[in-house]
Amino acid sequence: MPFISKDWRSPGEVWVKTEEGWEKKKILECCNFLLGQQNNLLTRYSVTKHCNKEESETSDNWNDIKSTEEKENKGSINHYKRPRTKYTSESQYDGVIQPHCHITIKCTKEIAGFNGLSEALKRLDFRSAVHDARRFHYICKLLDLLISHKLNTLSGCAQRVLFNIIEEVARQVSQSQQNKHMLDHLLGQLREVVECACWGRPLGSTILWEQHLNTINRIHEIADRIEIHQPGDNEEPQFEQLPEECVREVLLRLADHRDLERSAHAWGVMARLVDELRIWRELCQFHFSPRQIQSMVESSPSTSEDWQLIYHKLRKCYGLREEYAEMIQLCRNCRCLFWHSIGHPCIADTDPNFMEKLEDVDKNSLYVPIPPQAFLKFFSL
Amino acid sequence: MPLIKLQSSDGEVFQVDFDIAKASVTIKTMVEDLGLEDDDEEIVPLPNVNAGILKKVIQWATYHKDDPPPADDDEGREKRTDDISSWDADFLKVDQGTLFELILAANYLDIKGLLDVTCKTVANMIKGKTPEEIRKTFNIKNDFTAAEEDQVRKENEWCEEK
Repeated sequence: MPFISKDWRSPGEVWVKTEEGWEKKKILECCNFLLGQQNNLLTRYSVTKHCNKEESETSDNWNDIKSTEEKENKGSINHYKRPRTKYTSESQYDGVIQPHCHITIKCTKEIAGFNGLSEALKRLDFRSAVHDARRFHYICKLLDLLISHKLNTLSGCAQRVLFNIIEEVARQVSQSQQNKHMLDHLLGQLREVVECACWGRPLGSTILWEQHLNTINRIHEIADRIEIHQPGDNEEPQFEQLPEECVREVLLRLADHRDLERSAHAWGVMARLVDELRIWRELCQFHFSPRQIQSMVESSPSTSEDWQLIYHKLRKCYGLREEYAEMIQLCRNCRCLFWHSIGHPCIADTDPNFMEKLEDVDKNSLYVPIPPQAFLKFFSL
Repeated sequence: MPLIKLQSSDGEVFQVDFDIAKASVTIKTMVEDLGLEDDDEEIVPLPNVNAGILKKVIQWATYHKDDPPPADDDEGREKRTDDISSWDADFLKVDQGTLFELILAANYLDIKGLLDVTCKTVANMIKGKTPEEIRKTFNIKNDFTAAEEDQVRKENEWCEEK
Protein backbone atom coordinates (compact mmCIF):
# COMPACT_ATOMS: atom_id res chain seq x y z
CA MET A 1 0.00 0.00 0.00
CA PRO A 2 1.61 3.27 -1.05
CA PHE A 3 1.67 5.99 1.54
CA ILE A 4 2.21 9.64 0.84
CA SER A 5 4.77 11.18 3.10
CA LYS A 6 4.38 14.25 5.26
CA ASP A 7 5.55 16.73 2.62
CA TRP A 8 3.37 15.11 -0.11
CA ARG A 9 6.24 14.93 -2.53
CA SER A 10 8.44 11.95 -1.74
CA PRO A 11 7.16 8.55 -2.82
CA GLY A 12 6.59 7.59 0.82
CA GLU A 13 6.95 4.28 2.54
CA VAL A 14 5.57 0.95 1.54
CA TRP A 15 3.59 -0.46 4.44
CA VAL A 16 2.84 -4.08 5.19
CA LYS A 17 0.20 -5.47 7.50
CA THR A 18 1.57 -7.92 10.06
CA GLU A 19 0.12 -9.69 13.04
CA GLU A 20 1.32 -6.89 15.23
CA GLY A 21 -0.08 -4.14 13.05
CA TRP A 22 1.17 -2.09 10.11
CA GLU A 23 4.88 -1.94 9.59
CA LYS A 24 7.21 -0.24 7.12
CA LYS A 25 8.48 -2.68 4.57
CA LYS A 26 12.10 -1.55 4.86
CA ILE A 27 12.11 -2.35 8.57
CA LEU A 28 10.52 -5.71 8.00
CA GLU A 29 13.17 -6.53 5.45
CA CYS A 30 15.85 -5.63 7.92
CA CYS A 31 14.17 -7.59 10.73
CA ASN A 32 13.52 -10.52 8.47
CA PHE A 33 17.21 -10.79 7.97
CA LEU A 34 17.54 -10.96 11.70
CA LEU A 35 14.85 -13.57 12.05
CA GLY A 36 16.60 -15.59 9.42
CA GLN A 37 19.82 -15.23 11.27
CA GLN A 38 18.34 -16.51 14.49
CA ASN A 39 17.39 -19.68 12.78
CA ASN A 40 20.79 -19.87 11.22
CA LEU A 41 22.41 -20.22 14.55
CA LEU A 42 20.54 -23.44 14.98
CA THR A 43 21.07 -24.72 11.49
CA ARG A 44 23.60 -22.99 9.41
CA TYR A 45 22.21 -24.49 6.25
CA SER A 46 18.96 -22.65 6.43
CA VAL A 47 20.81 -19.40 5.74
CA THR A 48 21.11 -19.95 2.07
CA LYS A 49 17.76 -21.63 1.79
CA HIS A 50 16.12 -18.78 3.59
CA CYS A 51 17.71 -16.11 1.43
CA ASN A 52 16.80 -17.89 -1.75
CA LYS A 53 13.26 -18.24 -0.63
CA GLU A 54 13.05 -14.60 0.15
CA GLU A 55 14.31 -13.59 -3.25
CA SER A 56 11.95 -15.85 -5.09
CA GLU A 57 8.86 -14.66 -3.27
CA THR A 58 7.03 -11.71 -4.69
CA SER A 59 5.92 -8.91 -2.49
CA ASP A 60 2.29 -9.98 -2.88
CA ASN A 61 2.54 -12.81 -0.45
CA TRP A 62 4.93 -11.03 1.80
CA ASN A 63 2.33 -11.06 4.54
CA ASP A 64 2.20 -14.80 4.56
CA ILE A 65 5.92 -15.18 4.84
CA LYS A 66 6.01 -12.69 7.60
CA SER A 67 3.24 -14.26 9.60
CA THR A 68 4.52 -17.80 9.29
CA GLU A 69 7.93 -16.61 10.22
CA GLU A 70 6.55 -14.82 13.21
CA LYS A 71 4.93 -18.03 14.35
CA GLU A 72 8.09 -20.00 13.85
CA ASN A 73 9.90 -17.36 15.71
CA LYS A 74 7.53 -17.39 18.64
CA GLY A 75 7.47 -21.13 18.86
CA SER A 76 11.17 -21.57 19.00
CA ILE A 77 12.08 -18.41 20.81
CA ASN A 78 13.30 -20.37 23.79
CA HIS A 79 16.07 -21.87 21.74
CA TYR A 80 17.55 -18.52 20.95
CA LYS A 81 19.19 -18.05 24.27
CA ARG A 82 22.66 -18.33 22.80
CA PRO A 83 24.10 -14.83 22.83
CA ARG A 84 24.66 -13.86 19.26
CA THR A 85 28.11 -12.44 19.47
CA LYS A 86 29.28 -14.59 16.64
CA TYR A 87 27.74 -12.24 14.14
CA THR A 88 30.90 -10.71 12.84
CA SER A 89 32.40 -13.94 11.71
CA GLU A 90 29.09 -15.39 10.60
CA SER A 91 28.10 -12.35 8.65
CA GLN A 92 31.34 -12.36 6.75
CA TYR A 93 30.65 -15.97 6.07
CA ASP A 94 27.11 -15.56 4.93
CA GLY A 95 27.05 -12.00 3.67
CA VAL A 96 24.17 -11.15 6.03
CA ILE A 97 23.83 -7.65 7.43
CA GLN A 98 24.33 -7.04 11.14
CA PRO A 99 21.68 -5.07 13.02
CA HIS A 100 22.56 -1.39 12.79
CA CYS A 101 20.78 1.92 12.54
CA HIS A 102 21.80 5.12 10.83
CA ILE A 103 21.08 8.21 12.81
CA THR A 104 21.07 11.98 12.45
CA ILE A 105 23.27 13.09 15.28
CA LYS A 106 22.18 16.65 15.89
CA CYS A 107 18.49 16.15 16.47
CA THR A 108 16.85 19.48 15.67
CA LYS A 109 13.12 20.09 15.52
CA GLU A 110 13.11 19.77 11.75
CA ILE A 111 14.65 16.35 11.52
CA ALA A 112 13.24 14.96 14.77
CA GLY A 113 10.65 13.05 12.77
CA PHE A 114 13.33 11.06 11.01
CA ASN A 115 14.92 9.67 14.16
CA GLY A 116 12.21 7.27 15.21
CA LEU A 117 12.75 5.35 18.44
CA SER A 118 10.57 2.42 17.43
CA GLU A 119 12.47 2.03 14.17
CA ALA A 120 15.83 2.18 15.93
CA LEU A 121 14.79 -0.38 18.54
CA LYS A 122 13.71 -2.72 15.78
CA ARG A 123 16.69 -2.16 13.55
CA LEU A 124 19.08 -2.73 16.43
CA ASP A 125 17.27 -5.95 17.20
CA PHE A 126 16.71 -5.14 20.88
CA ARG A 127 14.15 -7.86 21.18
CA SER A 128 16.58 -10.71 20.70
CA ALA A 129 19.48 -8.81 22.26
CA VAL A 130 17.63 -9.26 25.55
CA HIS A 131 18.73 -12.89 25.53
CA ASP A 132 22.38 -11.94 25.55
CA ALA A 133 23.62 -11.64 29.14
CA ARG A 134 26.19 -9.07 28.09
CA ARG A 135 23.56 -6.72 26.71
CA PHE A 136 20.72 -7.47 29.13
CA HIS A 137 21.56 -4.78 31.70
CA TYR A 138 21.99 -2.04 29.13
CA ILE A 139 18.58 -2.79 27.71
CA CYS A 140 16.98 -2.96 31.15
CA LYS A 141 18.41 0.44 32.05
CA LEU A 142 17.04 1.86 28.83
CA LEU A 143 13.61 0.33 29.49
CA ASP A 144 13.70 1.68 33.03
CA LEU A 145 14.39 5.21 31.79
CA LEU A 146 11.71 4.96 29.15
CA ILE A 147 9.02 3.63 31.45
CA SER A 148 9.68 5.89 34.40
CA HIS A 149 10.09 9.19 32.60
CA LYS A 150 9.18 9.01 28.95
CA LEU A 151 6.28 6.63 28.47
CA ASN A 152 3.82 9.49 28.07
CA THR A 153 5.80 11.10 25.28
CA LEU A 154 6.30 7.92 23.24
CA SER A 155 4.30 7.26 20.11
CA GLY A 156 1.84 4.40 20.18
CA CYS A 157 4.13 2.42 17.92
CA ALA A 158 7.14 2.96 20.17
CA GLN A 159 5.05 1.95 23.18
CA ARG A 160 4.14 -1.28 21.46
CA VAL A 161 7.78 -2.04 20.68
CA LEU A 162 8.65 -1.21 24.27
CA PHE A 163 6.08 -3.61 25.69
CA ASN A 164 7.24 -6.33 23.31
CA ILE A 165 10.79 -5.92 24.58
CA ILE A 166 9.62 -6.09 28.20
CA GLU A 167 7.76 -9.29 27.39
CA GLU A 168 11.00 -10.67 26.01
CA VAL A 169 12.78 -9.63 29.22
CA ALA A 170 10.15 -11.54 31.21
CA ARG A 171 10.72 -14.66 29.11
CA GLN A 172 14.47 -14.39 29.53
CA VAL A 173 14.19 -13.92 33.30
CA SER A 174 11.81 -16.85 33.59
CA GLN A 175 14.11 -19.06 31.58
CA SER A 176 17.38 -18.10 33.25
CA GLN A 177 15.95 -17.58 36.76
CA GLN A 178 18.26 -14.62 37.04
CA ASN A 179 17.70 -10.88 37.41
CA LYS A 180 14.14 -11.27 38.64
CA HIS A 181 14.58 -8.06 40.62
CA MET A 182 15.03 -6.20 37.34
CA LEU A 183 11.78 -7.51 35.97
CA ASP A 184 9.97 -6.74 39.24
CA HIS A 185 11.37 -3.24 39.17
CA LEU A 186 10.25 -2.66 35.58
CA LEU A 187 6.79 -4.04 36.29
CA GLY A 188 6.48 -1.87 39.39
CA GLN A 189 7.31 1.22 37.36
CA LEU A 190 4.89 0.14 34.68
CA ARG A 191 2.08 -0.35 37.18
CA GLU A 192 2.41 3.23 38.39
CA VAL A 193 2.14 4.59 34.87
CA VAL A 194 -0.75 2.36 33.88
CA GLU A 195 -2.74 3.24 36.99
CA CYS A 196 -2.76 6.91 36.14
CA ALA A 197 -3.69 6.35 32.48
CA CYS A 198 -6.59 8.53 31.45
CA TRP A 199 -7.90 10.32 28.40
CA GLY A 200 -5.21 12.30 26.72
CA ARG A 201 -1.88 10.76 27.50
CA PRO A 202 -0.66 8.04 27.80
CA LEU A 203 -4.03 6.74 26.65
CA GLY A 204 -4.15 7.67 22.98
CA SER A 205 -6.03 5.21 20.87
CA THR A 206 -8.31 3.05 23.02
CA ILE A 207 -7.78 0.00 20.85
CA LEU A 208 -4.03 0.35 21.00
CA TRP A 209 -4.14 0.89 24.74
CA GLU A 210 -6.21 -2.27 25.17
CA GLN A 211 -3.57 -4.14 23.20
CA HIS A 212 -0.94 -2.73 25.52
CA LEU A 213 -2.94 -3.84 28.56
CA ASN A 214 -3.15 -7.34 27.11
CA THR A 215 0.60 -7.41 26.67
CA ILE A 216 1.11 -6.12 30.20
CA ASN A 217 -1.18 -8.85 31.53
CA ARG A 218 0.76 -11.45 29.60
CA ILE A 219 4.00 -10.14 31.09
CA HIS A 220 2.53 -10.29 34.59
CA GLU A 221 1.43 -13.87 33.97
CA ILE A 222 4.95 -14.84 32.94
CA ALA A 223 6.39 -13.04 35.96
CA ASP A 224 3.97 -14.69 38.37
CA ARG A 225 4.81 -18.14 37.07
CA ILE A 226 8.54 -17.75 37.70
CA GLU A 227 9.57 -20.19 40.36
CA ILE A 228 13.05 -21.04 41.49
CA HIS A 229 14.11 -24.60 40.81
CA GLN A 230 15.78 -26.28 43.69
CA PRO A 231 18.67 -28.58 42.79
CA GLY A 232 18.19 -32.20 43.78
CA ASP A 233 19.78 -33.51 46.97
CA ASN A 234 21.79 -36.01 44.96
CA GLU A 235 23.66 -33.42 42.91
CA GLU A 236 27.19 -33.46 44.27
CA PRO A 237 28.90 -31.36 45.43
CA GLN A 238 26.40 -28.88 46.89
CA PHE A 239 27.09 -25.21 47.45
CA GLU A 240 27.34 -25.89 51.18
CA GLN A 241 30.21 -28.28 50.53
CA LEU A 242 32.43 -25.71 48.86
CA PRO A 243 35.40 -24.60 50.95
CA GLU A 244 35.24 -21.06 52.35
CA GLU A 245 37.90 -19.78 49.95
CA CYS A 246 35.65 -20.63 46.99
CA VAL A 247 32.57 -19.05 48.57
CA ARG A 248 34.68 -15.95 49.26
CA GLU A 249 35.67 -15.83 45.57
CA VAL A 250 31.98 -15.80 44.66
CA LEU A 251 31.18 -13.04 47.16
CA LEU A 252 34.09 -10.96 45.87
CA ARG A 253 32.31 -10.84 42.54
CA LEU A 254 29.16 -9.21 43.87
CA ALA A 255 29.15 -5.48 43.17
CA ASP A 256 26.12 -4.47 45.23
CA HIS A 257 25.99 -4.20 49.02
CA ARG A 258 22.38 -5.39 49.04
CA ASP A 259 23.41 -8.67 47.43
CA LEU A 260 26.13 -9.08 50.04
CA GLU A 261 23.74 -8.37 52.90
CA ARG A 262 21.13 -10.76 51.59
CA SER A 263 23.75 -13.48 51.07
CA ALA A 264 24.84 -12.96 54.66
CA HIS A 265 21.27 -13.49 55.82
CA ALA A 266 20.91 -16.67 53.81
CA TRP A 267 23.71 -18.70 55.30
CA GLY A 268 25.95 -18.49 58.37
CA VAL A 269 29.14 -19.18 56.42
CA MET A 270 28.45 -16.30 54.05
CA ALA A 271 27.54 -14.07 56.99
CA ARG A 272 30.98 -14.69 58.46
CA LEU A 273 32.71 -14.02 55.13
CA VAL A 274 30.76 -10.83 54.47
CA ASP A 275 32.09 -9.49 57.77
CA GLU A 276 35.62 -9.65 56.40
CA LEU A 277 37.26 -6.31 55.64
CA ARG A 278 38.61 -7.46 52.29
CA ILE A 279 35.18 -7.80 50.67
CA TRP A 280 34.18 -4.23 51.56
CA ARG A 281 37.60 -2.82 50.73
CA GLU A 282 37.44 -4.28 47.23
CA LEU A 283 33.88 -3.08 46.87
CA CYS A 284 35.09 0.45 47.65
CA GLN A 285 37.95 0.14 45.20
CA PHE A 286 35.53 -0.95 42.49
CA HIS A 287 33.00 1.82 42.92
CA PHE A 288 35.18 4.78 43.90
CA SER A 289 38.44 6.36 42.78
CA PRO A 290 41.49 6.23 45.09
CA ARG A 291 41.13 9.98 45.60
CA GLN A 292 37.54 9.75 46.74
CA ILE A 293 38.44 6.97 49.15
CA GLN A 294 41.42 8.85 50.49
CA SER A 295 39.54 12.06 51.13
CA MET A 296 36.82 10.11 52.94
CA VAL A 297 39.36 8.28 55.12
CA GLU A 298 41.13 11.54 55.92
CA SER A 299 37.97 13.40 56.79
CA SER A 300 36.98 10.81 59.41
CA PRO A 301 40.09 9.06 60.70
CA SER A 302 38.12 7.04 63.24
CA THR A 303 36.61 4.93 60.48
CA SER A 304 39.90 4.23 58.71
CA GLU A 305 39.61 0.48 59.22
CA ASP A 306 35.87 -0.01 58.91
CA TRP A 307 35.53 -0.46 55.17
CA GLN A 308 31.86 -1.26 55.40
CA LEU A 309 31.17 2.12 56.98
CA ILE A 310 33.46 3.86 54.50
CA TYR A 311 31.61 2.19 51.66
CA HIS A 312 28.21 3.36 52.84
CA LYS A 313 29.47 6.90 53.40
CA LEU A 314 31.04 7.01 49.94
CA ARG A 315 27.91 5.53 48.40
CA LYS A 316 25.73 8.28 49.81
CA CYS A 317 28.26 10.88 48.78
CA TYR A 318 29.08 9.86 45.20
CA GLY A 319 26.61 7.19 44.14
CA LEU A 320 27.58 3.80 42.71
CA ARG A 321 29.43 3.13 39.51
CA GLU A 322 27.28 2.06 36.61
CA GLU A 323 28.77 -0.36 34.14
CA TYR A 324 27.63 -2.43 31.24
CA ALA A 325 29.44 -5.35 29.68
CA GLU A 326 28.36 -4.07 26.31
CA MET A 327 26.95 -0.80 25.05
CA ILE A 328 25.54 0.51 21.81
CA GLN A 329 28.32 2.25 19.88
CA LEU A 330 28.24 5.12 17.43
CA CYS A 331 30.48 4.93 14.37
CA ARG A 332 31.70 8.41 13.56
CA ASN A 333 32.39 7.52 9.93
CA CYS A 334 28.92 6.56 8.89
CA ARG A 335 26.87 7.86 11.84
CA CYS A 336 25.57 4.49 12.56
CA LEU A 337 24.48 2.95 15.87
CA PHE A 338 25.42 -0.67 16.38
CA TRP A 339 26.21 -3.33 18.99
CA HIS A 340 29.89 -3.47 19.79
CA SER A 341 30.29 -7.23 19.63
CA ILE A 342 28.36 -7.58 16.39
CA GLY A 343 29.88 -4.77 14.39
CA HIS A 344 28.24 -3.02 11.44
CA PRO A 345 28.73 -2.60 7.72
CA CYS A 346 30.83 0.58 7.67
CA ILE A 347 31.28 2.80 4.60
CA ALA A 348 34.93 3.09 5.56
CA ASP A 349 35.37 -0.60 4.77
CA THR A 350 33.88 -0.40 1.30
CA ASP A 351 35.05 2.98 0.05
CA PRO A 352 38.80 3.11 -0.76
CA ASN A 353 38.82 6.94 -0.81
CA PHE A 354 37.41 7.03 2.64
CA MET A 355 39.94 4.50 3.84
CA GLU A 356 42.81 6.68 2.64
CA LYS A 357 41.43 9.62 4.56
CA LEU A 358 41.27 7.53 7.69
CA GLU A 359 44.87 6.42 7.58
CA ASP A 360 46.16 9.12 9.88
CA VAL A 361 43.17 9.16 12.21
CA ASP A 362 43.26 7.52 15.61
CA LYS A 363 41.25 4.35 15.13
CA ASN A 364 40.24 4.22 18.77
CA SER A 365 38.24 7.41 18.57
CA LEU A 366 36.12 6.21 15.67
CA TYR A 367 33.61 4.38 17.82
CA VAL A 368 31.92 6.14 20.69
CA PRO A 369 30.13 4.13 23.38
CA ILE A 370 26.62 5.46 23.96
CA PRO A 371 25.28 5.17 27.52
CA PRO A 372 21.50 4.64 27.86
CA GLN A 373 20.79 8.30 28.69
CA ALA A 374 22.72 9.47 25.63
CA PHE A 375 20.94 6.93 23.45
CA LEU A 376 17.59 8.52 24.25
CA LYS A 377 18.91 12.00 23.43
CA PHE A 378 19.17 11.01 19.76
CA PHE A 379 15.41 10.71 19.75
CA SER A 380 14.82 13.98 21.60
CA LEU A 381 13.77 12.00 24.67
CA MET B 1 55.44 -28.90 21.14
CA PRO B 2 56.05 -30.91 24.28
CA LEU B 3 53.21 -33.07 25.49
CA ILE B 4 52.59 -33.91 29.10
CA LYS B 5 50.43 -36.58 30.65
CA LEU B 6 47.86 -35.77 33.29
CA GLN B 7 46.25 -38.46 35.38
CA SER B 8 42.82 -37.90 36.89
CA SER B 9 41.75 -39.18 40.31
CA ASP B 10 40.05 -42.19 38.72
CA GLY B 11 43.16 -43.19 36.81
CA GLU B 12 42.44 -41.94 33.31
CA VAL B 13 45.46 -40.39 31.57
CA PHE B 14 45.15 -37.37 29.28
CA GLN B 15 47.89 -36.28 26.93
CA VAL B 16 47.93 -32.50 26.76
CA ASP B 17 50.06 -29.90 25.05
CA PHE B 18 52.18 -28.16 27.68
CA ASP B 19 51.14 -24.78 26.24
CA ILE B 20 47.56 -25.63 27.14
CA ALA B 21 48.28 -27.27 30.48
CA LYS B 22 50.29 -24.29 31.70
CA ALA B 23 47.05 -22.34 32.10
CA SER B 24 47.11 -24.14 35.42
CA VAL B 25 49.73 -22.54 37.64
CA THR B 26 49.77 -25.69 39.76
CA ILE B 27 50.74 -27.89 36.81
CA LYS B 28 53.13 -25.27 35.44
CA THR B 29 55.15 -25.01 38.67
CA MET B 30 55.03 -28.75 39.17
CA VAL B 31 56.47 -29.40 35.73
CA GLU B 32 59.07 -26.65 36.04
CA ASP B 33 60.15 -27.77 39.50
CA LEU B 34 60.45 -31.38 38.44
CA GLY B 35 62.15 -30.37 35.19
CA LEU B 36 60.23 -32.80 33.02
CA GLU B 37 61.71 -33.25 29.55
CA ASP B 38 60.00 -33.83 26.23
CA ASP B 39 60.69 -37.50 26.09
CA ASP B 40 59.84 -38.16 29.71
CA GLU B 41 57.25 -40.79 30.37
CA GLU B 42 56.48 -39.11 33.70
CA ILE B 43 52.80 -38.73 34.52
CA VAL B 44 51.48 -35.78 36.53
CA PRO B 45 48.92 -37.08 39.02
CA LEU B 46 45.95 -34.85 39.85
CA PRO B 47 44.29 -36.64 42.77
CA ASN B 48 41.62 -33.97 43.29
CA VAL B 49 40.11 -33.95 39.81
CA ASN B 50 38.06 -36.71 38.23
CA ALA B 51 38.18 -37.62 34.54
CA GLY B 52 34.92 -35.93 33.55
CA ILE B 53 35.88 -32.61 35.10
CA LEU B 54 39.50 -32.79 33.89
CA LYS B 55 38.19 -33.29 30.38
CA LYS B 56 36.07 -30.14 30.69
CA VAL B 57 38.96 -28.18 32.16
CA ILE B 58 41.18 -29.21 29.26
CA GLN B 59 38.43 -28.23 26.83
CA TRP B 60 38.23 -24.79 28.44
CA ALA B 61 42.00 -24.32 28.50
CA THR B 62 42.29 -25.37 24.85
CA TYR B 63 39.73 -22.79 23.76
CA HIS B 64 41.39 -20.03 25.79
CA LYS B 65 45.04 -20.91 25.12
CA ASP B 66 45.64 -17.87 22.93
CA ASP B 67 43.86 -15.38 25.17
CA PRO B 68 45.97 -12.34 26.01
CA PRO B 69 46.67 -12.00 29.74
CA PRO B 70 44.16 -9.64 31.39
CA ALA B 71 45.30 -6.03 31.47
CA ASP B 72 46.44 -4.86 34.90
CA ASP B 73 44.80 -1.47 34.60
CA ASP B 74 41.37 -2.96 33.99
CA GLU B 75 40.08 -2.53 37.52
CA GLY B 76 36.81 -4.06 38.46
CA ARG B 77 36.92 -6.70 35.77
CA GLU B 78 36.20 -9.15 38.55
CA LYS B 79 32.93 -7.51 39.49
CA ARG B 80 31.54 -7.20 35.98
CA THR B 81 29.60 -10.41 36.29
CA ASP B 82 27.68 -10.03 33.03
CA ASP B 83 30.94 -9.86 31.13
CA ILE B 84 31.01 -13.55 30.24
CA SER B 85 31.80 -14.47 26.65
CA SER B 86 29.16 -16.41 24.77
CA TRP B 87 31.43 -19.43 24.49
CA ASP B 88 31.98 -19.50 28.24
CA ALA B 89 28.27 -18.99 28.89
CA ASP B 90 27.48 -22.03 26.74
CA PHE B 91 30.31 -23.99 28.27
CA LEU B 92 28.90 -23.36 31.74
CA LYS B 93 25.36 -24.41 30.96
CA VAL B 94 25.76 -27.39 33.26
CA ASP B 95 24.09 -28.62 36.42
CA GLN B 96 25.11 -27.09 39.73
CA GLY B 97 27.16 -30.10 40.78
CA THR B 98 29.37 -29.82 37.70
CA LEU B 99 29.64 -26.06 38.11
CA PHE B 100 30.86 -26.42 41.69
CA GLU B 101 33.25 -29.21 40.73
CA LEU B 102 34.70 -26.88 38.10
CA ILE B 103 35.18 -24.21 40.78
CA LEU B 104 36.96 -26.73 42.99
CA ALA B 105 39.15 -27.88 40.11
CA ALA B 106 39.97 -24.31 39.01
CA ASN B 107 40.85 -23.47 42.61
CA TYR B 108 43.06 -26.54 43.04
CA LEU B 109 44.74 -26.25 39.64
CA ASP B 110 45.01 -22.46 40.10
CA ILE B 111 43.47 -21.45 36.77
CA LYS B 112 42.50 -17.80 37.28
CA GLY B 113 40.35 -17.37 34.20
CA LEU B 114 38.26 -20.45 34.82
CA LEU B 115 37.79 -19.62 38.50
CA ASP B 116 36.73 -16.11 37.53
CA VAL B 117 34.11 -17.14 35.03
CA THR B 118 32.65 -19.95 37.18
CA CYS B 119 32.42 -17.69 40.24
CA LYS B 120 30.76 -15.00 38.13
CA THR B 121 28.19 -17.55 37.03
CA VAL B 122 27.41 -18.40 40.65
CA ALA B 123 27.37 -14.69 41.61
CA ASN B 124 24.79 -14.12 38.86
CA MET B 125 22.62 -16.76 40.49
CA ILE B 126 22.75 -14.78 43.77
CA LYS B 127 22.14 -11.30 42.37
CA GLY B 128 18.85 -9.68 43.25
CA LYS B 129 17.50 -12.67 45.18
CA THR B 130 16.11 -12.57 48.71
CA PRO B 131 17.86 -14.67 51.38
CA GLU B 132 15.03 -17.20 51.13
CA GLU B 133 15.44 -17.44 47.35
CA ILE B 134 19.21 -17.80 47.67
CA ARG B 135 18.71 -20.71 50.06
CA LYS B 136 16.32 -22.33 47.64
CA THR B 137 18.58 -21.82 44.62
CA PHE B 138 21.50 -23.57 46.29
CA ASN B 139 19.58 -25.94 48.54
CA ILE B 140 21.13 -24.33 51.62
CA LYS B 141 19.66 -25.30 54.96
CA ASN B 142 18.71 -22.35 57.11
CA ASP B 143 21.25 -22.34 59.91
CA PHE B 144 19.92 -19.30 61.74
CA THR B 145 17.77 -19.61 64.86
CA ALA B 146 14.45 -17.81 65.02
CA ALA B 147 15.96 -15.18 67.33
CA GLU B 148 18.81 -14.55 64.90
CA GLU B 149 16.35 -14.24 62.03
CA ASP B 150 14.46 -11.60 64.00
CA GLN B 151 17.67 -9.76 64.65
CA VAL B 152 18.49 -9.90 60.95
CA ARG B 153 15.09 -8.55 60.00
CA LYS B 154 15.55 -5.59 62.31
CA GLU B 155 19.00 -4.92 60.92
CA ASN B 156 17.54 -5.11 57.46
CA GLU B 157 14.94 -2.47 58.16
CA TRP B 158 17.65 -0.27 59.48
CA CYS B 159 19.73 -0.91 56.35
CA GLU B 160 16.89 0.10 54.06
CA GLU B 161 16.58 3.42 55.86
CA LYS B 162 20.19 4.49 55.72
